[in-house]
Amino acid sequence: MSNPTPPGGPGLPETQTLVPDTVPAPAPERKGTTTKSGKPASLWTDAWYDLRRRPMFIISVIIIVILLVMSFWPSLFSGIDPYNARTCDLSTARQAPSAGHLFGRDNLGCDVFARTIYGARNSIVIGVLTTLMTTIIGGLLGIIAGFRGGVVDTLASRVTEIFFAIPSILGALLIAATFRGRANSIFLVIVALTVLGWPMVFRIMRAAVITAKSQDFVVAARALGAGAGRIMFRHLLPNSLAPVIVVATINLGTFIAAEAALSFLGVGVQSPDISWGLMIADARNRFLEAPLPLVFPAVFLSLTVLAFIMLGDAVRDALDPKLR
Amino acid sequence: MKKTSTNVLPAEGGLGDEPLLAVDDLHVEFHTRAGTVRAVNGVSYTVGPGETLAVLGESGSGKSVTAQAIMGILDMPPAVIPKGQIRFRGTDLLKLSEEARTQVRGQRIAMIFQDALSALNPVFTVGWQISEMFRVHRGMSKSDAMKKAVELMDRVRIPAARQRVNDYPHQFSGGMRQRIMIAMSIALDPEVLIADEPTTALDVTVQAQIMELLAELQRESQMGLILITHDLGVVADVADKIAVMYAGRIVEQAPVYDIYKAPAHPYTKGLLDSIPRVDQKGQDLYAIKGLPPNLLDLPTGCSFHPRCPYRQDNCVTDVPPLYEISGTRGSACHYWREVLDGDQQ
Repeated sequence: MSNPTPPGGPGLPETQTLVPDTVPAPAPERKGTTTKSGKPASLWTDAWYDLRRRPMFIISVIIIVILLVMSFWPSLFSGIDPYNARTCDLSTARQAPSAGHLFGRDNLGCDVFARTIYGARNSIVIGVLTTLMTTIIGGLLGIIAGFRGGVVDTLASRVTEIFFAIPSILGALLIAATFRGRANSIFLVIVALTVLGWPMVFRIMRAAVITAKSQDFVVAARALGAGAGRIMFRHLLPNSLAPVIVVATINLGTFIAAEAALSFLGVGVQSPDISWGLMIADARNRFLEAPLPLVFPAVFLSLTVLAFIMLGDAVRDALDPKLR
Repeated sequence: MKKTSTNVLPAEGGLGDEPLLAVDDLHVEFHTRAGTVRAVNGVSYTVGPGETLAVLGESGSGKSVTAQAIMGILDMPPAVIPKGQIRFRGTDLLKLSEEARTQVRGQRIAMIFQDALSALNPVFTVGWQISEMFRVHRGMSKSDAMKKAVELMDRVRIPAARQRVNDYPHQFSGGMRQRIMIAMSIALDPEVLIADEPTTALDVTVQAQIMELLAELQRESQMGLILITHDLGVVADVADKIAVMYAGRIVEQAPVYDIYKAPAHPYTKGLLDSIPRVDQKGQDLYAIKGLPPNLLDLPTGCSFHPRCPYRQDNCVTDVPPLYEISGTRGSACHYWREVLDGDQQ
């Protein structure tokens, strides 16, 4: 650090010395070879190296980690259990924020802070499970269609086009409303969003597999005796995964927003379960008198969606070698 | 699936009269929108244990398509094999089921490719890829397979194999990558190895090393080697016999020294004459006149006649068969005697 002569030697132009010597010289040895530990750099380790240095990634991960902790251990954040009806008191309805009730109280006199914290769980669970389901279904069909081609591909592609033609909120509304009351409302939301969400993943996976399929190493793997399953899951899958991961991450955010929309419309999560969409719907009637019970869940919802979309963007940039 | 595999094909052992691998009157066509591309038009060749056959020809002569047909890695459609046989130890591979062919690939017949970087999976370490052969086909445990992978890397002369086994393909030089590809292909002791332009992407000194390695591995294991190349220099040192291909046909087939001494087909002669030689320094380099034929619309008669200095009237109408010159030698030219004697008209 205090070394007066920069490691670049005497050949450096004078302006270079203006750079504070606390800034380490950009490490040229990083480029695609090995990292500090001597571990070889693959696409994924390179991407990880890149990600750790992106502010967008760090911020989104911090938000997501807080959200995850919030949804698994909400009692860490709030001493009040909003699922216990006795914590609500109608006589205090729409009370302004105070020391014990940071976000004030809603129309029924329940604590808005506690409900917002406890509402994270349903949003996250629905977002994560829907993303998992769409990725598994869309990804699997995408690999098969892309690898097999021909009739299988044509058939699967036409089916996805039919699904694309359905406006997603309308479709989800239809599914959720039709089966309302016959199953757990959270489960219904996941099913409705999955049915309408998988074609997107399918298309991306199929396109990535078709690109990967024509590469020499797939032909070489065949020539050395790899069967169809091995080629699909050992050679095509890892080489087509990057775009799917990006889309899945961004989708997670949009599924959480879609859940809020469905709950707002009354066909999503049902009371007494807590959900941000439901809270927004409940607070809507008296919004002009008491805006805070609507504003707080809305801010949390936006932050959550934003965090996942930012994470998706960061991952996409890191996985695309051309952007480095 | 693994148990039935041994029943499908005759086991190793005596061959009798049957060659190890025999391609017999093979035809391959591609049905495209522009028409039917006749890439291979009746190719026949054989290769025995420990024997090296060099298949020589320019781009588009059908040498790689023939190899892909042997491996069964042609995309069908658009490719069709309307006629011909590929016999491995007497069994016609073209009649086998897809599962049976998968069992042949890698274990009995293996192939290496021109560009080893793109032929290796970029997301797995080379050790993983070599050891995969043992895990999948031999059912070895991960650690045993990894040990075998290191052994193989030693065998193909990769320095510090133990340290490099966990490196990724892009961390190796071109020659080293080709060695890894070779290691993968010989992992299961195949009886036939097809090398499709294995040295084309490498520089000259590395080319020689790779050819030497292939020749040595072949001596050790007595496998049949089909060497596909367009480089006459590569062929001379390692091949036992040569098949020269033009427009999807074999135009000349001969033991390697006979061909270099006196070619019996005008195309082979043209190829040999167009090698730069020191004593011709300063003079124009000889080149075969004209362009390779359009495979969508092959010339009538002998495909080479528009470019041939020995052309007579019947060359335009009659397709020349592969005339037998001697027991081991054939030429698909009506006027092979004149070519052999060298009295150009």
